[in-house]
Amino acid sequence: MKVTVNTLLSMDGFSPVAIADGEAQIEGVYIGDLLSWVMGRANAGDAWITIMSNINILAVATLSDVACIILAEGVQLEEEVKTAAQQKGINVISSDMSAYHIAAALSKAL
Amino acid sequence: MKEISLNILDIAKNSTKAKATLTTITINETEDTLTLIIGDNGCGMDEETVKNVSNPFYTTRTTRKVGMGIPLLKLSAEQTGGSFEIKSKPQDEFPTEHGTVVTAVFNKKHIDFTPLGDVTSSIVTLIQGDPQVDFLFTHNKPQGTVSLDTRELREVLGEVPLDTFEVIMWITDNLNEQYNEVNAQ
Repeated sequence: MKVTVNTLLSMDGFSPVAIADGEAQIEGVYIGDLLSWVMGRANAGDAWITIMSNINILAVATLSDVACIILAEGVQLEEEVKTAAQQKGINVISSDMSAYHIAAALSKAL
Repeated sequence: MKEISLNILDIAKNSTKAKATLTTITINETEDTLTLIIGDNGCGMDEETVKNVSNPFYTTRTTRKVGMGIPLLKLSAEQTGGSFEIKSKPQDEFPTEHGTVVTAVFNKKHIDFTPLGDVTSSIVTLIQGDPQVDFLFTHNKPQGTVSLDTRELREVLGEVPLDTFEVIMWITDNLNEQYNEVNAQ
């Protein structure tokens, strides 16, 4: 089944923070918070789950071409970062769930 | 970065790109803090550029939209409750005394402090990558100091380039020996 950012948003426990392309397809999942590590390992089309929220996450998302960033455990973005995400066209979703439960939900959907 | 030594590699490469002939890498360690200072005599940056380099979407390269060396170093330092600063004197305004100094202070006792890692291998990689540039490396630890000045090596080596296999091996062994001595104190 084709899973897009919009599919994820229609599931329980996920809400939009900044959505540029809801039709972006999610092909895999990557979990990580050490940005330099994520930069070399997340694949294009992944949903990247993290608890980091500074502006650098947007650069990492751009470089690795992930489908979306999922902020776990209720992490919020500062207004400035949210605006930058909209400007750069990066999909950001938030969830109160832990990285494990988000990944488990995605695993069922994918 | 997983280790600060990888940050050193990333930042010092910027100095070579700025056409520095001397890059100074200093690590000052106390019981509680680690201060990393990377300075060069390269072309420097104007005020506007200095303001922008911490922005991950800014880069002087044309091939990539974002440059992550500086933003990641700033993040790793600030994550430990430390600080980060860049000072620069552009060549067109300061014809005789130009260059850039990057200073990052880490709080070693903070739980998010990343280990220093293999500094010897970072220094050797830098010398190998740009053997025409001089490097002055100093690591002040509470127990003692490890240092290397490629200008002194050049005086002894004459025309022999720094990236000659035997020279690189000597530098590696020499730094490792110095570290062993200091760490045994």
